[in-house]
This record gives sequence, structure tokens and C-alpha cells, in this order.
Amino acid sequence: MDTLIQNESIDDKEIFIILKQFISEVIGEEFLEDIGITEDTSFSKDLEMDSIELVAFSEKVRSHFGQHIDFPGWLSGMDIDQMIQLKIHDIIKFIQQCRSSK
Amino acid sequence: MPIIKVNGKNVHFQELNPDGTETVFMLHGMLGNLAIFYFQIAPLLAARFRVILYDLKGHGLSEKAPEGYDLTSMAEDLIALMDSFQLRMVHLTGYSYGALIALKAAILYPVRFKKLAIIEAPNPCDEEPLEMISAYKYNKEALSEYVSSRTNGSLQAKGKRRSAKDNRLHDFLFTETSIREDMHLERSFFYGGSINGILHKTLLIYGQGSDCLADGYALSYKMTNSRLVLLEGDHAVPVQQPIETALCLERFFCK
Repeated sequence: MDTLIQNESIDDKEIFIILKQFISEVIGEEFLEDIGITEDTSFSKDLEMDSIELVAFSEKVRSHFGQHIDFPGWLSGMDIDQMIQLKIHDIIKFIQQCRSSK
Repeated sequence: MPIIKVNGKNVHFQELNPDGTETVFMLHGMLGNLAIFYFQIAPLLAARFRVILYDLKGHGLSEKAPEGYDLTSMAEDLIALMDSFQLRMVHLTGYSYGALIALKAAILYPVRFKKLAIIEAPNPCDEEPLEMISAYKYNKEALSEYVSSRTNGSLQAKGKRRSAKDNRLHDFLFTETSIREDMHLERSFFYGGSINGILHKTLLIYGQGSDCLADGYALSYKMTNSRLVLLEGDHAVPVQQPIETALCLERFFCK
């Protein structure tokens, strides 16, 4: 799944499906079956993702969409409350921004 | 995930700004992982330095190990990792247990390190954490309460899944490894003079409200080439003050 996709355009829905797959790989399908995952799902409160899972997730995003998706750099500008409130649609928006500015 | 073989075990690492001319290695604390630095402190340092972080054995995404949690074995892992990267000399940062490993590495391999940044190194003579580990089998909640009391409850509350995951890590480290015995043998680490022999320029960072603060003062007294900086917070100061911590580190390593 971690293949590099760089040039063709991709809509938010397609990115959401890919991210959902990555989340499933990082935290396990069993847990995901219990919650309905949407673009409004938060990484901390809903998915209970811990920080090392977020590192693994961001690795998968970079491997798939390209190394210019600088998660650490992006998150370094946030305080802890902002990081806790991160939702899937925030990541989709960030990926699209990185892709359009490349 | 980037994985490298170190002393026979798979080690998860992350590297930021690989083109940086000087390198900073960062070591996390016991029960933690590299993420404590990865999202905020490391990216700020990476504007000036190559930064390499890794999960200690048995922690994070690195391979589990039944033994070898003593400071010498951990320092040997660090040196083996530096050798894998063909790095002869680096700046070194460690937090808590990682700070003890950094001190040990500087004692055993002084020529491999330029400057040291020691964050919240605790004096391992403190019996309370070891007693918590010994009692873990019988009273798992006591450990969580102890960790919470050291950080004034400032760390994020956990849900069921995260609690279960943390419990699995605690179960492994405290019932299936030699970590308690290994740390028990380190009780006299702050005494006996070896720390006094560290001549590296050293920055000591402690939280003003940390229960390890006295250990920071003790180190600043023993290490003649050190400077103690106090930041608002407690033992969890790199989580509570990541930007301030990063700025302190950057200023120190840039000088």
C-alpha cells in the first residue's frame, strides 16, 4: 500500500480511503470496526492514537504521497491542544496543500 | 518504517535533515519512545542540524529484548548505531532514563561526543520507581498513579485502547525483562566519581517543579563544565515546554 503517488490529481474522497487504510494498518482493524470512521474522526479522542502510532502513520503518508509531506514540520507549529484535536480532514487538507504547492 | 540492525536487534529510527553538517542524537526515556522529540523538538533542531532519533530496545517500534537495559548496554547500542551511520562524533541529548544513558555513554566513549544536553536525569538511587516495578505484578494501578503524580496529571488522559496498549508495554518490561534488576545495579551511578570526570560542555535542563530537581543541582555541582537551566514544568518538561526546550538545545549546540 505504501507506494509513491505523486503526479496525478486525486480528490479528497480517494485520499480519505487511503488514510483509512493506513489507520487500519497502524492501530488494527478490530478497533476500527467498533467506531464509524469519517473525515471528522479525530486522531486522539476517537482513534486514541498515541504519538508513536502517529509517527508510523505519518511515515506511511510520506511513503505513499511523497517526502514533501512534512508532517513533523507541520505539527511543530502546533501546540499540544491543536495536535490532540487533529481530525482526518485536517490531514487531507494538508496533503492537498503540499501536493498543489509542489 | 526505517529499521536498522543494532547489536542483533531491529531498531526503529528517524532521521531529519540528513544533509546537516553536525548531528544531534536524541534518546527518549523509560516507557517512552522517539515521538517525545519527533513532532516538535526535533523539527526545530533540524533547521540547523542533522537529527537522529531512535526507539530504545523494548520501546516504541524497536524490537523487544529480554535483557540489556543497563546503562552500559544501552550506551553500546548507541555507539553501534553511530557506527552504522559512520558518525565519529555527535552532539547528544537524552531525557530521563535516556539522559542517564547519555551520561554513561559520555563516560565510556568521551571522544565520540561534542556536547551533552541532559534533560531531567533522575538519580537512580531513588528506590521508589524500583519498588513500583517490583510491585507491578500485584498492583498495576500504583504505577499509573506514580507516573501521574510525577507529572501533576499534566499528560493527556488515555482511553481504553491506549491504556490497554500501555499495559502491554508495562507487562512486558516489568515482568518479562531484566529492566528492574538492571536499574537496581545502577543505584550508585551518581556517586563514585565517574560523573565528575565528564568534561564535555553540558546543558542540564530541569522543570522548576520536578521531583528530580535536586538531581539537577547535584549534577551541576559534579560536572564542572555544565550549566543548569530551569523551565516551567515538572518531570515532563519536554512535553510541557517543547518549544522552550528546543530553543535551549539549539542555542546550546550552536554556540
